Amino acid sequence: MSTILQLVVSGVLIGSVYALMSIGLTLIFGVLRIVNFAHGEFLMIAMYGAWAISHWLGLNPYAAAIAVVPAMFLFGAIAYRLVVSPGLDKPHLVVVFATMALSIFLQNAALMLMTADLRDVPPIFARSISVGSVYIKGELLLGFAITLACTIGLQWMIKRTYLGKAIRATVQDGEAAMLMGIAVPKIFLITFAVGSAMVGLAACVMLPLFSVFPTVGLNFVLIAFVIVVLGGMGSIEGALLGGICVGVVQSLSGYYVAPAFGQLFFFLLFLLVMIFRPNGLLGQKGAAMLGMNE
Amino acid sequence: MRTVKATSEGAERMPWLPRRGRISWFEIALLLGCAGWVGFGFAPSLQDVTILTFLFAGLALAWNIAGGYAGLISFGHAAFFGIGAYASTILLLRYNLTPWIGIFVGALAAAIAGSVLALICARLKGPFFILSTLAFAEVVRIAALNWSSLTGGAEGLSIAPMPNLASMVLASKSGYAALMLGYLALAYVITRFVEASRFGFYLLAIRDSDEAAAAAGINPLVVRTSAMALSAALTGMGGTLFAQYFLYLDPTYVVSPELSFQFALLPAVGGLGTVIGPILGSFLITPLSELLRSHLGNAAAGLHLVIYSFGLIVVMLYFPSGIAGALDRLKRRRSPP
Repeated sequence: MSTILQLVVSGVLIGSVYALMSIGLTLIFGVLRIVNFAHGEFLMIAMYGAWAISHWLGLNPYAAAIAVVPAMFLFGAIAYRLVVSPGLDKPHLVVVFATMALSIFLQNAALMLMTADLRDVPPIFARSISVGSVYIKGELLLGFAITLACTIGLQWMIKRTYLGKAIRATVQDGEAAMLMGIAVPKIFLITFAVGSAMVGLAACVMLPLFSVFPTVGLNFVLIAFVIVVLGGMGSIEGALLGGICVGVVQSLSGYYVAPAFGQLFFFLLFLLVMIFRPNGLLGQKGAAMLGMNE
Repeated sequence: MRTVKATSEGAERMPWLPRRGRISWFEIALLLGCAGWVGFGFAPSLQDVTILTFLFAGLALAWNIAGGYAGLISFGHAAFFGIGAYASTILLLRYNLTPWIGIFVGALAAAIAGSVLALICARLKGPFFILSTLAFAEVVRIAALNWSSLTGGAEGLSIAPMPNLASMVLASKSGYAALMLGYLALAYVITRFVEASRFGFYLLAIRDSDEAAAAAGINPLVVRTSAMALSAALTGMGGTLFAQYFLYLDPTYVVSPELSFQFALLPAVGGLGTVIGPILGSFLITPLSELLRSHLGNAAAGLHLVIYSFGLIVVMLYFPSGIAGALDRLKRRRSPP
């Protein structure tokens, strides 16, 4: 019994960290209706940034977020201007291929600059926290707290602020929003940059847990896709729910079946969701059938 | 600012309607040129490049049947490639079945997998479809990596390098080049045939609008499934040829997402939904990337892919209808209707 409890708790915590990494992707999809295939590489770059700060300046990776998050905001804005926005008025395939080429570009630029070595930081917390018979890693608990805070913060931003209102208007009807005086291109730019900044934060949370190497993004972006589709594309609380599902599935199947098959299970889960509930658990109705961006 | 142009010709549309049924002398000349290139021998340093270029041109054509004509943008074709490669290789190694038959068994297995994928994604569009194909390929990849008793696991499978026509292990590179050119020609003829047939019209109809096609009496599910099956079968054949050429199957390459992206990028660069596009894409990109790799690969790991992907971004953003589209526009400008 305590084994199951331990597995579920670890799964929920690791899943919430995955969710943090997916929030940027789902936000960008929800507003721009594009899938950023370079999302994993954004994560990789931010992880390298956090690693560089903690390695050379001796700072805690969590403190590195102060520099990494604004830097990723700026990086996202530049990537949007150079790669995404020129393709937005063309068939959606163009953006798919452009962001995919961007991901190859970033991956290999990192390979050139940083070589293929694995880089990591020493553990932050010396020992695990124990609650009854369950052991909890401090890094994971902190990640869980940060994810919750981000989800609530983003929800508040979208529901309560003027910017959030403008974003919701753009999602509902871009043309009508434009007629109401909302600068839709600017909203797109800000959303893409905020999504990238969220990845920056996720990178700082993930660096104490995972090593960073040039192709690290590919593993994580596939998990992020599963989470985003599971939760419903564009839904932030859906991403949290999807992340926790993936985390628990991975943790349980890793223990009871075999670690290598953990991924197999959540890809199967993904395909099952696509067959039976293509809009995800909390997604908009009809999204998958409309293709959203046609 | 762009001036307003009539779009009835389809010049501004992408992917545009192909001009079907006409024999293209350019394409015939290109194929004959390739045959001459193989027949009269070529510089040994270019052998590998030539073989890969022909193979990937055929694979790009195969992808294009689903992705270009039917609008089923798949990032999971490496799964079919891997299924074809593993099927024929396992049959050869275990049951000593010649790959000349195994290639068709592999194609059949890939076609079945393609139909399954099409049925899974029956109602999905846009990013949902793309991500599902990606997940499907991941399932196949993880299975190939972990089902060690069948696939050899992470070590992969190797075929004995003993030249023997019966086991499709050829002694000379020219032989392989001819084999790959044959595959390219097969993919070309099938694409031409599809394009000129009623089935080809169905593909374009479901690409442009599922609903309108269904209203006109086409069953989108049947058309999607058969397009995917045909495309997967051809891709599976390419997988067998790949295995027979390299004589080694590495699951981290044969079923990798990178390979799936490669299959999709070649037609996208060349021009989606055209016969000549995928061929031109491979003829341009494959030698270029091999050349960059051999010249820059030693100097700095990754530099060739940095240059390559930078070029791709520029091409995708500024020539979204590919080389074929650019050529088409040039032709139109020279001879106004």
